[in-house]
Amino acid sequence: MAELYWTPVADLARMIAAREVSPVEVVRVHLDRVTALDPKLKAFITVCDVAALAGARAAEAAVLAGGPLGPLHGVPYGPKDLYCTKGVATTGGSTILADFLPDTDATVVARLAAAGMLVLGKLNMHEFAYGPEGLNGHYGNVWNPWDAGTHRVAGGSSSGSGAAVAAGACPAALGSDTGGSIRIPASLCGITGIKPTYGRVSRAGVLPLAWSMDHCGPMARTARDCALMLGAMAGYDPADASTSVLPVPDYAAALTGDVKGLRVGILRAHFLDVAAPEVRQAVEAAAKALEQAGATLDEVKLEHLALVPAAAMAIVGAEALAYHAPWLRARSAEYQPDVRARLKLGVAVSANHYLRAQALRARVRQEVDAALARRDVLLAPTTPIAAPALGQQETQLGDGPSDVRSALIRFTRPFNFSGHPAISLPCGFTPAGLPVGLQLVGRPFDEATVLRAADAYQRLTDWHTRRPPVA
Amino acid sequence: MLPHMEITLDTLKRVTRLAGFEWEDAELEALRPLFARTLDMLGRLDAVDLAVSEPSTQYRVL
Repeated sequence: MAELYWTPVADLARMIAAREVSPVEVVRVHLDRVTALDPKLKAFITVCDVAALAGARAAEAAVLAGGPLGPLHGVPYGPKDLYCTKGVATTGGSTILADFLPDTDATVVARLAAAGMLVLGKLNMHEFAYGPEGLNGHYGNVWNPWDAGTHRVAGGSSSGSGAAVAAGACPAALGSDTGGSIRIPASLCGITGIKPTYGRVSRAGVLPLAWSMDHCGPMARTARDCALMLGAMAGYDPADASTSVLPVPDYAAALTGDVKGLRVGILRAHFLDVAAPEVRQAVEAAAKALEQAGATLDEVKLEHLALVPAAAMAIVGAEALAYHAPWLRARSAEYQPDVRARLKLGVAVSANHYLRAQALRARVRQEVDAALARRDVLLAPTTPIAAPALGQQETQLGDGPSDVRSALIRFTRPFNFSGHPAISLPCGFTPAGLPVGLQLVGRPFDEATVLRAADAYQRLTDWHTRRPPVA
Repeated sequence: MLPHMEITLDTLKRVTRLAGFEWEDAELEALRPLFARTLDMLGRLDAVDLAVSEPSTQYRVL
């Protein structure tokens, strides 16, 4: 049963429902993995061993009783530690909230529980989600499982989610994505993660970084697993006024494996053209694979991206400062230095610049909409580089030197800005053995097509089945 | 558009005090170059023409 820890969510749910395996066994196997691997990975902030085993025993009893089961019955997962979990510490990766025990679950945690999922533990992250490297000075810096010898970052801010899933310590996770925080760790850790359309998934009960840029979504090893979790998570929530009442489609049913006629727009300018050569090569090959499977390719250029970094700084800087202002007044010294500095820079944002940033957002959204009017998905690398070493500050891109932080969020942030759904999935490896991520961006509320394309690609390739050396 | 003024420690202290924060000089001094760079970056947003598109946030199909 040792290989249970590489079994996808979809198969675990089927096996549990068919009584081929007990949820108790599934949870035990994963808890053993956490015990064995996490001293190095530092992917977990809290391990919910007692509650997870109790939940697994109840899930087993429900199976044996023969009653109706949720679609993900008995399958464990880990929420990033900014999702409120009733009675379980929710730290946001900070010591400021070390003693915060929420009295209710975040909406999506409650929905996944209703679908039958069990919380295995709470996952590490960049403090308060404010950083794409996934660093945490309080609970330890997450180790990317794809390099056993060199400490490389897992990507953030959902670094624990990326590393835990990649290493087989849990079959799936929840991340949150304000500038790429689901897709970046998915890319750097060689797993699959989807940032849905803004408004598709409730943010109620999730600690915010920037309300108008935050997105919640699943991370797993396959697009199919993401589809199953997203189906359970998505939909209108009266507790989150930004959620849409549009009906939630059956995402799993959309996974036909067929991409014949799928219109794919390749983002070269500002994206592929500035990526590292090994990233470019892997993503070009992925586009070719989709074309050979029947998709049609053309090139598309987004013209209004030059000001996105400034606009995102204005929006995230202002919104994050507003949320953190009470703690910045009273407990400033408790933040890790990079997060404290970033938060304080929010003071530089004026109302004038905040509103101009929001105006630019409308224009970028219109431009992405226009690009997708004649195409089904846009294709780009998720990140221009593979996982950097811990402490690496600079990197070289096709258009010149860049600091690592800016490089990591460069290809993902435009779609937080615009709100379009975007997925990252593995599409190859660098010569050093580090995963490369492919990003597919879809029309608003058309996660089904994004997932279909990603699933079809995973039927054609085996990148998502590779196992990292630390595991 | 006015050229950006030099950000001195005193300026930074006044700005942060106006915003309701009181942080130590040493930390503000360390932030000073970053603050100046951030202001330069944000200044580029003055080129955004509000007559073309009005401020809005995200998709919300009800």
